[in-house]
Amino acid sequence: MTRLIVRRLAISVIILIIVSILVFLATLLLPGDPARAILGQQATPERLHALREQMHLNDPIWQRYLSWFGGLFVGNFGTSTATGSSVGALLGPRIVNSLVLMVVAAVISVPVGIAAGTYGAIRRGRAGDHAATGVSLVLAALPEFVIGIGLIALLSTSVMHLLPSVTMNPPGEHVWDHPTQLILPIVTLVLVVTPYIIRMMRATMIEVLDSGFVEMARLKGVPERQAILKHAVPHALGPVAQVIAIQLAWLVGGIVVVEFLFRYPGVGAALVNAVDNRDVQVVQTLSMLIAAVYVVVNLLADIVGIVTNPKLRTEVAK
Amino acid sequence: MPPNPPPATSLSRRRLLGAGMTAGAGAMLVACGGPAGEIEAPKGEPERGGRLRVGLTGGGASDTLDAHLPVNTTDIARCINLYETLLYYNDDYVLTPLLATKVTSSPNAKVWTAHLRRDVVFHDGRPMTGKDVAATFARITDPKDPKSGAAGLTDLDKVVVAGEHKVEFHLKSPNAAFDDSLGQYANGIVPADYDPKHPVGTGPFKVKSFTAGQQSVFARHDHYWRQGQPYLDELVILDFSDDDAIVNALLSSQVDAIGQIPLALTQVIGSDPRVNVLTSPTGSWMPFTMRIDKKPFDDKRVRQAFRLAVDRKQMIEQVYSGHGRIGNDMYAPFDPAYSKDLPQRRQDIRQAKKLLADAGHPNGLDVELVTAPIQSGAVEAAQVFAQQAKKAGIRVNIRRVDSTTFFGDNYLKWTFAQDFWYTRNFLPQVNSGTAQDAPFNETHWKNAKFTKLVAEATKTINEGQRNRLIEQAQKILYDEGGYIIWGFSDQADAYQKYVAGLKPNRTGLSLSGFQFRRVWLGGSNS
Repeated sequence: MTRLIVRRLAISVIILIIVSILVFLATLLLPGDPARAILGQQATPERLHALREQMHLNDPIWQRYLSWFGGLFVGNFGTSTATGSSVGALLGPRIVNSLVLMVVAAVISVPVGIAAGTYGAIRRGRAGDHAATGVSLVLAALPEFVIGIGLIALLSTSVMHLLPSVTMNPPGEHVWDHPTQLILPIVTLVLVVTPYIIRMMRATMIEVLDSGFVEMARLKGVPERQAILKHAVPHALGPVAQVIAIQLAWLVGGIVVVEFLFRYPGVGAALVNAVDNRDVQVVQTLSMLIAAVYVVVNLLADIVGIVTNPKLRTEVAK
Repeated sequence: MPPNPPPATSLSRRRLLGAGMTAGAGAMLVACGGPAGEIEAPKGEPERGGRLRVGLTGGGASDTLDAHLPVNTTDIARCINLYETLLYYNDDYVLTPLLATKVTSSPNAKVWTAHLRRDVVFHDGRPMTGKDVAATFARITDPKDPKSGAAGLTDLDKVVVAGEHKVEFHLKSPNAAFDDSLGQYANGIVPADYDPKHPVGTGPFKVKSFTAGQQSVFARHDHYWRQGQPYLDELVILDFSDDDAIVNALLSSQVDAIGQIPLALTQVIGSDPRVNVLTSPTGSWMPFTMRIDKKPFDDKRVRQAFRLAVDRKQMIEQVYSGHGRIGNDMYAPFDPAYSKDLPQRRQDIRQAKKLLADAGHPNGLDVELVTAPIQSGAVEAAQVFAQQAKKAGIRVNIRRVDSTTFFGDNYLKWTFAQDFWYTRNFLPQVNSGTAQDAPFNETHWKNAKFTKLVAEATKTINEGQRNRLIEQAQKILYDEGGYIIWGFSDQADAYQKYVAGLKPNRTGLSLSGFQFRRVWLGGSNS
């Protein structure tokens, strides 16, 4: 088992290195160079040259890549060209803000998804199951901005005026100082993520419930409740962990749209703004951050899969 | 001829959002069973106090408070409320005294004298004097670090302080329209020791806090020279990055007023009984720019053919949702010299085809049109044009890029593209975009006769004579120019009904030209 995990870990590191090269090359392809973006229309050749020198834009590409990649390890993410301050200082509070959204959304959708999926599997074919399946199917088909706009129209602007539609916390205050502003973005994320978890949990549970060992437990007279909770659910969690991982990883990228829609001051909004401003350092750092979360979450899901899969466990025991 | 359907593009995100909003508004009407009790707009004498929250798009991480470097909409809004110019363009786009009681020209238009108000104090309590005015213009035209307004002040030789409240502007060459520069918002008067880190001006509001890309909080300037104004205690300007978020913020009462709503949404937003829509006719234009020095546009018959291919009325309908006026390939519609007598150019496919054939394109021609979302409606305008031009045998290949790319290295070099301009009078517009050496000469316009007429007009003090020269210059643009000026857009803003004091304004700047000194809040909201 340890060997498998170590191998997964090594693969993850290689993937991150490849991603870093791709991200670096992709930002080189963005039209317009940062020095010109900063100086704008007042760019004279002399000022451009001086600034390029100062930003090491005249160094060979591999050298720029190495100094950037090396910087990531020691927490030096470079300087934001739009604001002139360090990328770390710019992104720090925004990362916290985005984490708040994601963690709360995950904490709600994972248990709800597992519970609703299990419920659907047990009550397979009945009205409640049909309703849940139908709703989750529709929600799964809708992009996040449609769900977000629907919620805004329903709860904030048109039908009812219950909740704020955009985040407007004054600079210096935390987003959680105004909890009502968090409700709509979080509900949107939950509605986007949960249906997949429900559907996967339901399908896996149905499979497990039909399998021999649950049947055996029932025949031995284990109470139904215990048969489900103690025997069936743990076996269903392995495959579902993969889906949950993908969903959580999606949250990191999908949050861009949600933040944009709700004017939420997180990494997503920062990324959109940075691309507009050709703020290459910020784009690079954020892309790496999002890639890293993807890789780490998938790694964790793999580990859960390895730990809960009896076949893989026995292979190691050999 | 029936109007064409809008070009069949894939359902874009924005369209879908618009549709979502429409559906939402419909749902509201159903839910309420018709508009709820009409809310009355405040009337009578302005009430003092309160806090106005204004939402604007266009800002970002590079927002600034520098009086002389405003770039985007939120910068301009801040600028106008913190700083004031010697003159300003009022709601009717007429140059009007502000910090100067009057500005007069010498008979040869080489020396301009500004008489300053005596009752003006800066935010820090010091009185404004001629020295401050001279220092301001020295800062703007600093050759080492020229500011935004410097391009319009190339004629300025020196500023002489002729007294505590009198300043003379000495020009290198006569310029009868020099006072226009004194009315540009980027030339606000600042104290002689101005430092943008401590932004001090004479405007109705002073800085309380500022976070780039997020929000600015301004407090009332207690010693403001206009009696009674401003009425508000506090002004908050909030940056938004998205049209949908800003409209939602208004409808959920998180802001009191928003600038520049998409014209297509004016009806939907106006149908909310709590909200007023303010529509202003402006001189803002979004031309197609044809480089007159590049094939195929180096032939004036091709340029004329392109102009005749446009159905201007349909453009206004489809791009501005009907909120605009058709153009006649000339700019500066509010300039007293604007030629109203030249025949209105209309779509004439037969004539366009004939001109193209004469120019050596009997089978029509292919062109690439570079477009970007540089302004609301720009990409749509390109698409509608492509449809219309097809009939004349002009096959338009639309190349859509993002705004940063559009304004990047190739800006002013595209052969066939678009641009966007706010309201301006004729001579200042020529200096910005059509003079041979103008900084933004997108059409690479170069015409000896035109240059001579403009130079003549610039020197001519007599307004009637000057206007006649301008009319002649305009005729040349009308006949041979590289712009397709198909229309002038309206400007639409929206605000909660309890907000009073906003009036239609022709400058093209949002919310009454951002003159929040006049705004007050009615009823329980103050």
